[in-house]
Amino acid sequence: MRRWAGWVVGAVALLPLLASGWAAVRAERALAARLAGTTAAYLALVTPAAPGSADYDLSHLLVQAGALARLPGWTSRLEVYRGTAPLVRATAGSLGAATMAALRRVEVGVLWWNGSALVPLKDKDGRAVVGAVAVAAQPDGETWRRGAFGGFALPVFFLAVLFAFSAVRAGAQRPSIRVHAAIALLVGLVAYANARSAARDATDRWLEQTRLLVQEATARLPTTDVARLATTIRPVVRAAGEGADLRPGGDSAGVRVRRVRVAGEPQAVVAIRVGWGRWLALRTRPAESETGGWLWLCLGLAAVAPTVAALLRWVERSRSRPQRLRETLTAWGFLAPATAHLAVFAFAPLVFLFYLSVHRWSLIEPAKPYVGLENFGRLVRDPLVWTSLRNSLLFTLQVPITMAVALGLALLLRRHSTIARIARTAFLLPYVSSVVAIAIVWQRLLSLGPVDWLGNPGTALAAVMVVWMWTQVGFQMVVFLAGLQAIPDAYIEAARVDGANAWRRFWRVTFPLLKPVTLFVLVTGIIASFQVFTPVYVMTDGGPRHGTDVLAYRIYQSAWEFLQFGYGSAQALLLFALLFGVTWVQFKLMGKRVAYA
Amino acid sequence: MASVTLRQLTKSFDSTGRYALRDVSLVVPDGEFLVLLGPSGCGKTTALRCIAGLEEPTAGEILIGDRIVTHDPPAKRDVAMVFQNYSVYPHLTVRENIAFALEMRRVPQGDIPGRVAAAAERMEVGDLLDRRPAELSGGQRQRVALCRAIVREPRLFLFDEPLSNLDTKLRAELRSELLKLHRELGATMIYVTHDQIEAMTMGQRIAVMQEGRLRQTGTPADVYERPADEFVARFIGRPGMNILVGVADSGRGKRNGGAVVRCGSLTLPIALAYEGQIHLGVRPEHVTVCALDQGEGNAEVRVVEPLGSETLLHLDAGGQPVVARLPGLFAVPDGQQIGLRVDVKRLHFFDASGARIA
Repeated sequence: MRRWAGWVVGAVALLPLLASGWAAVRAERALAARLAGTTAAYLALVTPAAPGSADYDLSHLLVQAGALARLPGWTSRLEVYRGTAPLVRATAGSLGAATMAALRRVEVGVLWWNGSALVPLKDKDGRAVVGAVAVAAQPDGETWRRGAFGGFALPVFFLAVLFAFSAVRAGAQRPSIRVHAAIALLVGLVAYANARSAARDATDRWLEQTRLLVQEATARLPTTDVARLATTIRPVVRAAGEGADLRPGGDSAGVRVRRVRVAGEPQAVVAIRVGWGRWLALRTRPAESETGGWLWLCLGLAAVAPTVAALLRWVERSRSRPQRLRETLTAWGFLAPATAHLAVFAFAPLVFLFYLSVHRWSLIEPAKPYVGLENFGRLVRDPLVWTSLRNSLLFTLQVPITMAVALGLALLLRRHSTIARIARTAFLLPYVSSVVAIAIVWQRLLSLGPVDWLGNPGTALAAVMVVWMWTQVGFQMVVFLAGLQAIPDAYIEAARVDGANAWRRFWRVTFPLLKPVTLFVLVTGIIASFQVFTPVYVMTDGGPRHGTDVLAYRIYQSAWEFLQFGYGSAQALLLFALLFGVTWVQFKLMGKRVAYA
Repeated sequence: MASVTLRQLTKSFDSTGRYALRDVSLVVPDGEFLVLLGPSGCGKTTALRCIAGLEEPTAGEILIGDRIVTHDPPAKRDVAMVFQNYSVYPHLTVRENIAFALEMRRVPQGDIPGRVAAAAERMEVGDLLDRRPAELSGGQRQRVALCRAIVREPRLFLFDEPLSNLDTKLRAELRSELLKLHRELGATMIYVTHDQIEAMTMGQRIAVMQEGRLRQTGTPADVYERPADEFVARFIGRPGMNILVGVADSGRGKRNGGAVVRCGSLTLPIALAYEGQIHLGVRPEHVTVCALDQGEGNAEVRVVEPLGSETLLHLDAGGQPVVARLPGLFAVPDGQQIGLRVDVKRLHFFDASGARIA
């Protein structure tokens, strides 16, 4: 192996380090931005307006800004601008007119300017931008170093680089690659731990700094009622963005930042003492609970180095066997489209389904928290799920009947006559037609008679089953026809010579020889039956009184009507498990194939 | 046991409009082993299937014993048939396969195991009874198929190329076994094949068919030594008979009543008064070579096939292809001119349409 290979793999092994450093920088900047927003809102709350104007009284603004910067425990570097002029440190540079203009255009949001998060300071009415608040983030380089090399990172990274070299060493054996992969996993986890702790740290710091602001605001407000205080000061907290809130409550046990769960969602909470026995609870969504993406990024980056090492070794080994290399590459070339298709359209959705099933996930709710097995627990307790499961199982009872009819038709129509050909086409037509169209037609047909088939909970499921059978029978008939054709005539003829009549020929010869086909039809029939949705959706909407509420319909309703995708996914997994079981049994049974001749 | 009689049996499949069988009349006496021989598509299998009842003839009659069975279903004919591709039911064990026909014919349950065991013993498959066909070799499967046929003790056995899927060694083995079976059972057997070795070695009589017609019926020796027409002459024997096309001239006959035939570079005196075009048949073993100009004419060597015990010389006698079978190894370069000697006493005479003259 070439010398450079070790360096390449070693360098690649440090990729997760880049990620964790970057995560720290992002967390630091987010903190600065949130703090700037909170501070601006605080100033807007506590600074009185100049008489006859919505703008602030300059002297008051100057006092408030100065007091804030010198507040004990206030650790952030703060600057407040009135117009473009700095108020806290008068010697600091003023904002450019262009920056000010940009700030006006941004309206809400954050500008980055000289390493600080800059947010507009609006007048009392919240309309015109009269100034700006800047909160300096720690220098990116410093944050980055802290994020990348904090914790156990250094020794682990050292190990990773060491093993990266060893993995691509000439003659390296498989175990060393495996160890390398394990180390890479460790690197990924450590990098993620750093990213997470940076986010956690940022949340803690925001809570502590905001607590100071809330206490300051409390001192400047006339009321002592906690509820009114909370209502008045809440805009300050909310300025930090979605998920932050201030409520009455809490006690001295919560003076330190704590992690709790509120209604299943993780929250970071700190208690603020606003007077004797009077407490406010400041809480926000902890930034670390939304670092799932970083985990995948860190692990993905960590996997790059072992992959590169394995690839390099594979190339090295196949260099001596160019034909094999060519064959392998060609094989993968042919496999690639199908693999990509499977990966994108089969495996990825399946993985996402698993992900969804352990989250509370809705299209409209921005918060999509991890809820563990809650969805599955709900599944077990949900009587509608049991109803739909029962209906699905009942629905499946049509499969053997449909099969019997289809086999009978296949036996009748396998002759080479014109009538048989026309009849075969006619029976297949429903299968190739639009299910929606068929369902609508049947809906009309079923409403004609004296009995309201679809409106009666006792008959609706049976009615839908009949329609479904009618669509499926043609397909099954065609499969049976193909199966019958595959049976060599000699068996039947031998049976005829042996003296078997038509009935016995069928039961003793044809039917046993048709076994693989019968199994195939049975299994595909059961799968299709469990997945049945369209006729239910079109004809009955699962009703009446959930009489036709089948599993697939339940999934649809949970996900798309109630927008509970996590719960819907858990139901889909139930269906998946059921069908997986059916398919497994099929493979077990199909293993013993019947060989002709 | 029973004889089989076919009376002007005719069969056409309406889709093609051609005849698969045309006016086939044949009597197979009780206890005979008759071979139906012919190239593929000659109608031999169709004839067999008509006898079995699997096809219904378009015209004509079939008698098994004294009974007309032309339109009876197979079950009523009491025949057993062995198919080319074994047709042993794959979903049944060997035992169940053999017992199948007995059950179908409602043989008392108590008798079945004994008869199955006896048949299996006879065909030496007694130790395979609990296996499934997929676990058997081709030869074993065909033995099971034979078992299935004999266990019923039918009046008539029909074989449809039963050995053609087997390798040469197995084929020879089963051939002698079938003959033994025929001797022991004394049953009437009709055996379809396109393999003339099978036909010659097994048949008490051979019926040669071509294009739906029966060309000749006779013992193997008859068919070989007195072929009824040019087709049979060419078809039987390997390589088949040489057919020399020539013109007979009685006027220049050397002997009384004879004639001289000129065909290609050969001049052959024949003991037959005949004028005009004539086809002379001569088996390769009755053609020898000699020095130039010493025989009935000269020919050019085209291909030499040394087979060890004999050598086949493919010759060109003035545009007439001739094959000579010479004993032992014979070395001669391709393209060499060589003298040809024909055993004129062994000549067969056919007219221009291929029919035998004498």
